[in-house]
Formats: sequence, structure tokens, C-alpha cells
Amino acid sequence: MSSATGNARKARDDIVRGFRRWHIWGRLGWQEVKRRYRRTVLGPFWGAISIGAFVLVLGSIGSGLFNNSTADYLPFLAAGMVVWIMLSTMITEGCNLFIDGGHLYRQMRFDYSILAYALVWRTLIGFAHNFSVYVLCALIAAPALLLAPTLPLAAVGLALIAINGVWLALLLGIFCLRFRDVQQFVTSILQLALFATPVFWSPTVFHGDWRLIMVQLNPLYYFIEIVRAPLLGTIPAGSIYLWAVVITLAGWAMTYWVFRRFHARIAYWS
Amino acid sequence: MAEVTIENLRIDYPLYGSHRSLRKEFFERAAGGFISHERNGHRGRVVIKALEDVSLHLADGDRLALIGHNGAGKTTLLKAIAGIYEPVAGRVDVRGRVTPLFDTMPGLDVDDTGYENIVTAGLLLGLSRTEIEAAIPDIEQFSELGEYLSLPVRTYSAGMLTRLSFSVVTALDPGILLLDEGIATGDAEFSERAARRMDEFIGRSHILVLASHAEGLLQSLCNRAALMKSGRILKLGTVDEVLTAYHADIERAS
Repeated sequence: MSSATGNARKARDDIVRGFRRWHIWGRLGWQEVKRRYRRTVLGPFWGAISIGAFVLVLGSIGSGLFNNSTADYLPFLAAGMVVWIMLSTMITEGCNLFIDGGHLYRQMRFDYSILAYALVWRTLIGFAHNFSVYVLCALIAAPALLLAPTLPLAAVGLALIAINGVWLALLLGIFCLRFRDVQQFVTSILQLALFATPVFWSPTVFHGDWRLIMVQLNPLYYFIEIVRAPLLGTIPAGSIYLWAVVITLAGWAMTYWVFRRFHARIAYWS
Repeated sequence: MAEVTIENLRIDYPLYGSHRSLRKEFFERAAGGFISHERNGHRGRVVIKALEDVSLHLADGDRLALIGHNGAGKTTLLKAIAGIYEPVAGRVDVRGRVTPLFDTMPGLDVDDTGYENIVTAGLLLGLSRTEIEAAIPDIEQFSELGEYLSLPVRTYSAGMLTRLSFSVVTALDPGILLLDEGIATGDAEFSERAARRMDEFIGRSHILVLASHAEGLLQSLCNRAALMKSGRILKLGTVDEVLTAYHADIERAS
């Protein structure tokens, strides 16, 4: 009989055992990167080039628009964009997690979490390529940033994003598998979110209630900031880490509940 | 060592996004599984009853033939044993490694080389890198693909792809082997060598469950049989007994 404790054990086993099968998700993630760029000369750097062009153009406009010096604005924009791309990739591709992964879990018993780990892994590989844009912008505008003593904190922020990417992908993957409209909804919201999140503009431009709405109530802000601020040589405020950790715990709790409840249904919904 | 225990297994497939008219149509021609309209409170939900009240026990040395019409639940039962579908009700308890063979190689990517696909498939089937490396000479030798193994699978002919997946899968330790008719009846394409290797592979398995319509194949490979109809096991017995019952059922229907 499938009891509540049985479901809890299955969900937990899936998440733990899936993580231990790093040789599988490592390979699946890597193969996916290779597959996308096969027979292209520049490979994953195509992504970096398009972000780089975007950042350079917007950086030139933006530094005038927001009355910033290019030396300040360009690295700010580049750092924000590469982190944003990572977050939005995890979100949009998380929606497809179980729709695309069906050929694997419908052929054999398969730990579903492997798909989420593979997604996060390949997003990190993409980030490593895109990061060259930031390095280039920093070299042009403010080379001293590349030696900032706060850089190790950016790695901590990246690790936090990766941990969140796993629950996010699992949760979105389950919802989008069952309700195929969710994906469309998420994609369109995400386009708007790029403008509503402090990526192009600095969080300090808003004050009072507006700051609360535009910045502090936006969960994406905290995850951008925990990587961007250390890259730009500042230590993120304690409250930012606090919120990032709260979101991590709440997200995992929610996902664990949903995953436990619907783990057995994923194959049926596909 | 290997053991499969199934108790009162029920599996329903939910049917989403079906129009009202489509639902009606489904009710009227109930081929295969029973389509039922479950009422959960005020919410109606269309489900296809794929398996109902199936109980079965298999131990080492059992070679079970699944016999029945299309849509009788044979493939669903194989997938439930493989652990792909969790029981809606009842219990499936499997001890031992399961090798499900429903399609081609798992994780097949046509842009990867033969060697790369061997590693991916091996990992997905639960082997370690060293176990895969150890199996590669055998795969090279049997598939006779030679230098093609270093080329993308995209460049293979259909026959060469069959050779590759067949060589990979049969190089493994089968454990509990689940075979669907697609692969089992494909043996006409294989050379005699392949047929021998398949026999030997099945021989190494602890338990075999084979769904097929090829009666000669079932008789030569299996020592037990289950007659399935509309998601239930009607009869369990020897292959000959069950085939007789199956033919009697066909005659009664015509």
C-alpha cells in the first residue's frame, strides 16, 4: 500500500540517490551543452557573444540614461545580466524538465531529481562561458574589480543559486507537466521580470514603498545581489543573505511537499 | 535472489485535455482497457483502467509469457514491474536489478558517436564506468561496427543501429529481464548469431517476462504464462494451457 511515509521515503530517496548519481547527471548535462552547439565553431560562446553585444550597447546607452559613469555602469550591468541569464535559464528550462525528460523516465526506473541536477549543472557550464562577458567588461571599465577581495563571496552566492535551481526546476517541472499553460505564463512573466528586477537599474534608485515593491518583494533581486555585489567589490548586506536563505529553505520545503505528494504521478502525467 | 511480488495491482491512466465529445467517443468503443468516469466529489475525471487486481509472484528461473490482445495490459504490467508507473492501488515489490527493453538504447543521441552512446546507455542502466569499459571489447566484437563506433550514430544505417543497441544491451547482466514484443519479435532481422546471443542473454537472466504474440517464441522461451484481458490476469499456467485458453477465448468472441 502506498502510504504517506512510503511516499516521503520515495521522494527523499529520489533526491538523495539522484544527487549521488553525479556521473549520470554530469554526463546528461554536459551532453546537452555539446548537443546544442554541435557543428558550431564558437559553441557556447555564441551565448556569451549575444550577451556581450547586448551589454555593450545597453551599457553605452544606460550610462547616459542613468547618469552613471561607464566605469561604474558597465560592470554592474554585465554582472547583473550574466546572473540574470542563469536564473532565467533555470526557470524556463525548469518548466520543460519533465516534458523533455520523458524519453528517459518512461523507459526505465529513473530518479527524477537527476534531471534537475543535470539542468543546474548545464546552466552552471553556461554561466562559466557567459562570465567571460563580465571579465571583458571589467577589463575595459574597471580592471581593479577583477582582483576584488570579495570574489570568493560570489562563489558562495553561485552555490546558493545552484541549490535553489534544483528545487525550482523540480517544482516548475511538476506544475508545467500537469498544467501545460503554466509554462507560457512563466515565460511571459519572466520577460517582464527582467525590467522589474534591478538588473538595468540600481536598487538604490527607489525609495520608500516603491523600493519595497520593486526591490525587496522581488525574490530574484536577492539572488542577483549575492553574486553581483561581491563581483563589484562590496559585501552584500546581512539581510540579503538572510532572505536568500529563507527563500532557499521555504522553496525546498514547498518542493519537498509537492514532490512527495506527486512523485508517483509524474510518469502518468507525461 | 531475484523476486517479483505483485499484489492487487491497479493502474489507471488519466486522460487529460479530452473534449467532452472525445470522452463520449471513448465510452462508446471500449477497446482495450475499460474507460471509466471517476467522480471525485464534483470533479469528473476520465481514466483508462489499464490494470485491475493483478497479483503475481515470480522467483528465480521463472520465464513468464504475457499473452493477450492488444490493449490487454501486457506492456503496462511490464512497465509497472520496471518501476516506471507507481501502483495506483496495490503493491509491486521487486528484488534484483531490472533490465527493461522497450525501445532502443536508453538515452540514445544520434549526434554522439557509437562509443559515447555505449557509455550513456551503460550509465543509465546502472553500470559503473569500469563495468562499461570492461564490456566494450565484447560490444566491439559482436557488433562488427569497427571504425563506425567512432562516428556519430547519425551516420549509421537502421540495421547498424539495431546491431549497436542489440550488442550493448545483450552485453549487460540482465537480472530481471523485461521484454516487449518489439524487440523480441525483431529476431527475424538478426542473424543466427544474434539469435544465439539473445538466447544466451535470456538464459543468464534470473527472471524473464516476455510480452509477445509470437507463439513459437513464447513456447520456446517461457515456462509459465499469464492470459491477460482488459487489465486482468484471467489465467496462470503453463504456456500450452494458457495458449489453449487464449484460442478458446478468440473463438468464443468470433
